[in-house]
Amino acid sequence: MNELIATLKEEIIEVLNLEGMTPDGIDDNAPLFNGGDPSVAGLGLDSIDALELIVLMERNYGIKLKNASEGKEIFKSVATMADYISKNRTK
Amino acid sequence: MAVYIQSAAQITIQSPLCDDWFTSPIQREGRYFRSVEPDFKAFIDPMASRRMGRLLKRAIASAMTALDGYEAPLDAIVTGTGLGCIETTEKFLNAMLRDGEQALPPSFFMQSTHNTIGSVIAQRLKCHGYNNTFTHRGTSFDCALQDALAQFELNDISSALVCANDEMTEAYFQLFDQIGYWKAEGVTEAMFHHPTTEGSFAGEVSAAFLLNTQSSQQTLCRIDGLEVLFEPTDERFRQAVEALLGKAGITREEVDAVVCGYNADRTNDEVYTRRLTPLFPQTTQIYYKHLFGEGFSASAMGYYVAATCLKRGGIPAHIRYKEGKATRPKHILVYNHFQDKDHSIALLSC
Repeated sequence: MNELIATLKEEIIEVLNLEGMTPDGIDDNAPLFNGGDPSVAGLGLDSIDALELIVLMERNYGIKLKNASEGKEIFKSVATMADYISKNRTK
Repeated sequence: MAVYIQSAAQITIQSPLCDDWFTSPIQREGRYFRSVEPDFKAFIDPMASRRMGRLLKRAIASAMTALDGYEAPLDAIVTGTGLGCIETTEKFLNAMLRDGEQALPPSFFMQSTHNTIGSVIAQRLKCHGYNNTFTHRGTSFDCALQDALAQFELNDISSALVCANDEMTEAYFQLFDQIGYWKAEGVTEAMFHHPTTEGSFAGEVSAAFLLNTQSSQQTLCRIDGLEVLFEPTDERFRQAVEALLGKAGITREEVDAVVCGYNADRTNDEVYTRRLTPLFPQTTQIYYKHLFGEGFSASAMGYYVAATCLKRGGIPAHIRYKEGKATRPKHILVYNHFQDKDHSIALLSC
């Protein structure tokens, strides 16, 4: 799991073009999205980033999200994403 | 109604966001040059700009620089671009190919339209007014400027930001190369004065002009008129020039200089000579593409150069193509054509 988390962080930095950010700078359990509230710690991603993450999961792990409501839990943090990927990946 | 150019900013293959090209230009001799970019962090938060391609960052930086110190409402943003965000478009198409049209990256998709540029500038400036984009190859900027002037004429706006934005990717450079756009041996300064072959050299332009109806100490110049013509005969061209000058109340002899898009391509340059020699045999000619290169937005730099000369009251030697009378310029005609089909003439005065 730790290896997947490390890979996922690198992929997120690349696909979201998070300039100046390193995998070490992303907490496994920090929220990816803050709902526009800057007081919430985390990456502060937005809805377009969510689309990019969906594409990332499909392209790199062969996962197609069928139920949009699942996204809120899956994309809670890098750890939840990695957990979902490890259970559902097809490649 | 008089319309003035209040300020202008450029990011090109010369030093960005300044007028160093006027006094100490970077000499460009070769085939292909990318823009010299400023530090974009001074204009856009890196987190906010991380999805933007380079052209969008240049567009925002040039727009913000042109608007620096301007606090009145901005009524319109009009953009001219031949290729739009072509670098992002290429990334999107390559991703489509790579992923078998299955997983399409949304950011590249959103930026793959020409009018993304005007929209992103509007978002950044919080300008909810008129927003339009013109894509007409080498006269894209001229058409954008014409539209802005029409909006002023209709009294629909009293200020506008008119922009030109084009980038030249490696892939597009190669495509153009295949149809003879670029000189195989590269372009030298001497070739501008004695072009014997076809082809020019590639540059990139992001330029922004703030227009409004109030003259002030900062004003660069007044726009006395602009005409866009399609495949005019020599006689139709002469009539259009006479009409443009007549509307401004001046004669051909009172035009102090003509800005021309000489680009070292023999066929391109012959058009300027053929059209202008009978009308302006003794008038100073200014060239600028030896400094900024060729591209669909290059004509915007003709306006930029003319406005700067009018504001500074002189024409430096390194942009004089042909010597005419040596006076402080008051009226400069800007003439641009694209493949002898689309033509534009504009009169700038101070």
